[in-house]
Amino acid sequence: MNVLRWWWGLLLAFALVALVRVFLPLPFANEIIIFSIYTMGCNYLLGRIGFISFGQPAYLAVGAYATAFYLFYFGNNPYVGILIGVLAGIVVSFAIGPLFVRLRGDYFALVNLALAVIIFYLMQKVLAGITHGDNGLWFLTSMTSTPVLDLSRPDQFFIFAFLVAFALWAFYKYLDDSIFGACCLATKLNEDKVKFLGYSSFNIRLFAFVIANTTTALAGAMYAVYLGFVSPEITSPARAADPVVVTILGGVGTLYGPIVGSIVYTGMKDVLSKVLGNWELVIGFVLVFIMLAGEKGIWGTLEPLIKKTFLRVTGNAADRGGSSR
Amino acid sequence: MIDMQLLISGIIFGLSLGGIFFLMTIGLSLCFGLMRIISLDQLLYYSIGGYITYSVSLAVGNIWLGVLGGVIVGGLAALAVERIVFRRIYDRDLPFTMITSFGVLIGGVGVIKYFWGLVPRPVPVPIDAQVFIIGTEIPVYRLVIIGIAGLVYVGIWLFLNRTIIGKAIRAGTEDVEHVEGLGINVYRLFTITFVIAGGLSGLAGGLHAPLIMVDPNMGLEVLAFVFMVVIIGGLGSIKGTLVSSFLVGQVVSIGSLIYAPLAQMAPFAIMLLILLIRPTGLFGSQMLKR
Amino acid sequence: MTNNDDILTVAGLNVAYGESKALFDVSMSVRASQVVACVGRNGAGKSTLLKSITGFLKPTSGSIVSNGTSLVGLAAFVIAGKGIKYIPQDKKVFSDLTVRENLELGSYASQDYDWAPVFDYFPKLKVLMDRKAGYLSGGERQMLMVGRAILGQPKLLLVDEPTEGLAPSIVMHLRDVFKELAKKTALVIVEQNLPLVCAIADKVYALKEGRIMAELTDRASIKPEACEKYL
Repeated sequence: MNVLRWWWGLLLAFALVALVRVFLPLPFANEIIIFSIYTMGCNYLLGRIGFISFGQPAYLAVGAYATAFYLFYFGNNPYVGILIGVLAGIVVSFAIGPLFVRLRGDYFALVNLALAVIIFYLMQKVLAGITHGDNGLWFLTSMTSTPVLDLSRPDQFFIFAFLVAFALWAFYKYLDDSIFGACCLATKLNEDKVKFLGYSSFNIRLFAFVIANTTTALAGAMYAVYLGFVSPEITSPARAADPVVVTILGGVGTLYGPIVGSIVYTGMKDVLSKVLGNWELVIGFVLVFIMLAGEKGIWGTLEPLIKKTFLRVTGNAADRGGSSR
Repeated sequence: MIDMQLLISGIIFGLSLGGIFFLMTIGLSLCFGLMRIISLDQLLYYSIGGYITYSVSLAVGNIWLGVLGGVIVGGLAALAVERIVFRRIYDRDLPFTMITSFGVLIGGVGVIKYFWGLVPRPVPVPIDAQVFIIGTEIPVYRLVIIGIAGLVYVGIWLFLNRTIIGKAIRAGTEDVEHVEGLGINVYRLFTITFVIAGGLSGLAGGLHAPLIMVDPNMGLEVLAFVFMVVIIGGLGSIKGTLVSSFLVGQVVSIGSLIYAPLAQMAPFAIMLLILLIRPTGLFGSQMLKR
Repeated sequence: MTNNDDILTVAGLNVAYGESKALFDVSMSVRASQVVACVGRNGAGKSTLLKSITGFLKPTSGSIVSNGTSLVGLAAFVIAGKGIKYIPQDKKVFSDLTVRENLELGSYASQDYDWAPVFDYFPKLKVLMDRKAGYLSGGERQMLMVGRAILGQPKLLLVDEPTEGLAPSIVMHLRDVFKELAKKTALVIVEQNLPLVCAIADKVYALKEGRIMAELTDRASIKPEACEKYL
């Protein structure tokens, strides 16, 4: 039953994304899948460690710019580019993690935002010689076609992005079921008691921080390859809260929340800015409403409903199988 | 090195910027101290203050009346938000209230866009006069801002130390349950604090409007600086907020004289440095847990 | 069961912290100018009981009635305003405020600005008026806490472990104060110091693991040994 349950979750997410791919234009589908990878890190930090980060764009930019530097100056294989983006994410999170994770939760949120601003100005002004400032780095045409999955073609990129997202879901699912996942949750609930058990809450937080931000950097690297272009806009403070908003929309801490949130958010933004030209108004009020209504988000509310329906179907089958209920 | 006149005008510029930061963050700091919320929606009242100043000065022709209107409307908006939203979530943990306040901020920006549109609007400077200080021409308006910030600090100090409500707020910053246990209606204290904070944010927006253009995202643009001020000063400390406001103001202003991109970067570098040494900021309390 | 003359009647009270239940079916009653003591080991639920009565914890079921009105669901400051004051165990005065300001807050809350009774009980506070409460000793803090609470002549004082960690001379002083206070107001005292309890209590409830194990109402039977056997 256990195995079945967690496969069902993945299949459901799979089906959802496939639906998106079939019914919506390709750029939209790609946007959603990268966005959901982007949100996974934030979702993990908020849902499992209880740390809210208003500075996820910082790590997105780290991945994106590392990839962009490689593809613009050194090589032209997008796979290597993404790999370098991920490595940059790991290095940066390990470098600043020890400083950040010992802060109290409120300061953590604020410091991350500050980091995003630093990186923004670093890329826009200070390193303008290398990053070409606001003009950004363009390398769409210099990327070579790769065998098996050609990342320079959007339709094949989608398949790659989809596989990556799938692997990440499996990975986060695995984390949740491991001792480490239990420790993370325990640190969120009561830090002192975790210390008494002999675990270092510092190490737990540090690793969660690295994992989450490396995921974000991966999303950044994929943005870079997909768009073939990176500019400081990616870490603009005005977009700092996007992943937090998506996390809330999808439901904090639910494994499939990021993708549901991404679909809704990207969709809302797209449709509303066309129809109303004022999506902030709606997003803001939806956010407040969700928080007041019980913070479970869209997926968090839907999940029990779907489970109930699903259980009724299988429950009936089990009854016919001869259980005495 | 740097020209003497440039330096003096830079210092005055920094002081006036610090004054604006102080007016904006003092509310944030008070709210954190008493209610343990990080009220990002203060930035909305700042924008509202700016826009009301714009509209009133356009209609009446008097910018000071506009600023007054900004304070009042900022306070009223804060009152409404406190009653409708925050009243229900005071006992939730910090990330929760922070996200909710962000939702209010974003939604409010949408409302502003609805009423005033997307185009940045200019607000005229109420005082055109210049004075000479040690041979440097200084706009009087900047000196007025510094003066107002100083007056507000004195006013807040007197309020907290000389009135019974202020004393209750100080006591609540230490332990809200004990204040409630005495029989004091702490929810009224919360409302009072929140409205004061909103009014001061509105004041900051109104005073800042003539120096910048008002545009719907003006709150988000100062978001990072406001965060930085409260981090450096320490959440919940009025004195820390004052010190760090003027510190950040000076760093931005003098920094831009030395090397323009430094203006935005240097404060953040200083903030990281301070957090390395003191994880709770300069004046932040070590034991703010509830 | 409910008697309108009772200052406080608690019946069938259940309280839980999230999933873990802390009080099971607790019932008790307090009459005017009665001294009621709750004894029990750490974690028996004594403080939980006081916090539920004073509105800081919301009971899952049960009734709390004072002079014919229910206290369940009222905010803590409303209950305090009805003259039911709680003196917590933590001895946390507002350390950034002076003793005078601490008392002013008590006066503001109860609209009683006559500090003479406070100084009658605790003359020492008069000398300390302009000192920051953070610099007071443990005993002085307890004096300030009690002094702050008796402003406005409360009808019921709930005191949580008042003598914990205090010097014997101060314990004696507090005992005399409580005896004196009991002439005008009802007292519920949670205490581990059994000799003290037996010296002043008219009624003793023994709590263990969230349940009331015994109720000693007879003045003669309230002895440390008698209480001890229920703990």
